[in-house]
Amino acid sequence: MNFQDGIAVVLLIAGCFFYLAGTVGLLRFGDVHSRLHALTKADNLGLMLVCAALAVLAADWRISALLALIWLLGLLAATVSAHLIARHARRGWE
Amino acid sequence: MDTAHLVDLLLAVGMVVLALQVVSERAVLRSIILFVVFGLVMALAWTRLQAPDLALAEAAIGAGVTGALMMMAWRRLLIINPDQPADTPRGRSRVAVPVALLAAALVATIGLSALNIDPHANGAGLIALDELTDTSLGNPVTGVLLLFRNLDTLLEMAVLLIALLGARAVSTPAHPNEAAVVETSAPLVGALLAILVPLSILIATHLLLAGTNEPGGAFQAGAVLAAGGVALVLTARLQPGERPGVVTQLAVTAGLLAFVGIGVGIMAFGEKLLVLPGTWAIYVIETAMMVSIGLTLALLFAGAPALVGRPK
Amino acid sequence: MSQILGLAVLFLLLNLVAGIWRVARGPTAADRMLAALLFGSTTVAVLLLMAEWMTMPALRSVALLFVMLAGIVTIAFFGLPAGKDEQ
Repeated sequence: MNFQDGIAVVLLIAGCFFYLAGTVGLLRFGDVHSRLHALTKADNLGLMLVCAALAVLAADWRISALLALIWLLGLLAATVSAHLIARHARRGWE
Repeated sequence: MDTAHLVDLLLAVGMVVLALQVVSERAVLRSIILFVVFGLVMALAWTRLQAPDLALAEAAIGAGVTGALMMMAWRRLLIINPDQPADTPRGRSRVAVPVALLAAALVATIGLSALNIDPHANGAGLIALDELTDTSLGNPVTGVLLLFRNLDTLLEMAVLLIALLGARAVSTPAHPNEAAVVETSAPLVGALLAILVPLSILIATHLLLAGTNEPGGAFQAGAVLAAGGVALVLTARLQPGERPGVVTQLAVTAGLLAFVGIGVGIMAFGEKLLVLPGTWAIYVIETAMMVSIGLTLALLFAGAPALVGRPK
Repeated sequence: MSQILGLAVLFLLLNLVAGIWRVARGPTAADRMLAALLFGSTTVAVLLLMAEWMTMPALRSVALLFVMLAGIVTIAFFGLPAGKDEQ
């Protein structure tokens, strides 16, 4: 395993950790708004770290740019989804 | 047992469990959400089966159209009858068990006979790959769809058009307020649309052009365009219209017209029916098919004969 | 390296198995939709890992489609009346 692979493995493990954190948050937190909070943030950090690991492995500008685009779109989708789901949940209470 | 086998096993078991949940769940909304999840696992299964073309189609249709379609159907039912029970009635049909047993027997028979097939004895795929080297195409799926079995593809386009006409015949046009779910002033949604819609056109074009050499093609591209249209319908940027204009009618039939036009027109030059004269013909037909598929799916989603812009 | 990518895929899939529990349990419709969101973002990561693991670059396009279209189901979900599925 060379230096490049080593960096990728560290990033990948960190990414998996944040995915795990998101899932644990989704399972353990008490109400819907805290769960929303935990999941959308932790998962996107996880996605960023996984994308970074894969970009290091690929060592190619086109693939790295595509991975960056996927991550940014993931951020956008998670932001809008979290917002809409939170509003939907609040509407249920009133 | 190595990692790949474990992943495959997990996906296979997961799909069966999810499928059972989807059909046995009594709350309608839960079934719908489980179906969306099932689509995601299905796409992963296609990739493990080395079928990226199908994974692309599953992603575009599953994420962009069917999940939203079922939620809108549920919403419309609730609007028509606000006292609609959230659960389907208890108890299952008397034919459920026999049908399930028959289906299991069918799957077992096909699965067992598939295990006994020698993969190299089956020549059709190899012949198609051989013939592909004489064409300028690099993607065997596009080769089969547009060169070797293009009559099937032509008829599929006809089926899509008939489906649209059938839906138009039996459904009453949706009221604009029923089709849209987000008030146009909702924050963030505008930002999402401003990125999603132009990007869906860009990605659809990319999939169309890439389809000649790598996974992609008119069906996937059309589904991505449809997803952009669905997003516009959901947010009331496009609203159901009363009657289709010339542009809509041309766009819906473009795929069929281009296919038949080139496929029959070639006979005037002494060729056989549906022998495509070159790569340019494939591009023309695929582009026309993409437009038709995209618009047809969007119209089916809106349940309307036409789509018009939001009145100012 | 291939072995590690495979293990990461397996790990994320096991994460999803845990997520199923939230879909089944709820208790509100928003919770179930949230679990579907977890499936979406994890599937994207799995697809990207598989693209490298199985050397199938086309899977990155599949991931791109999923992440691009993830918002559409949520917009449709937003239109559903709340309080219809709580129990």
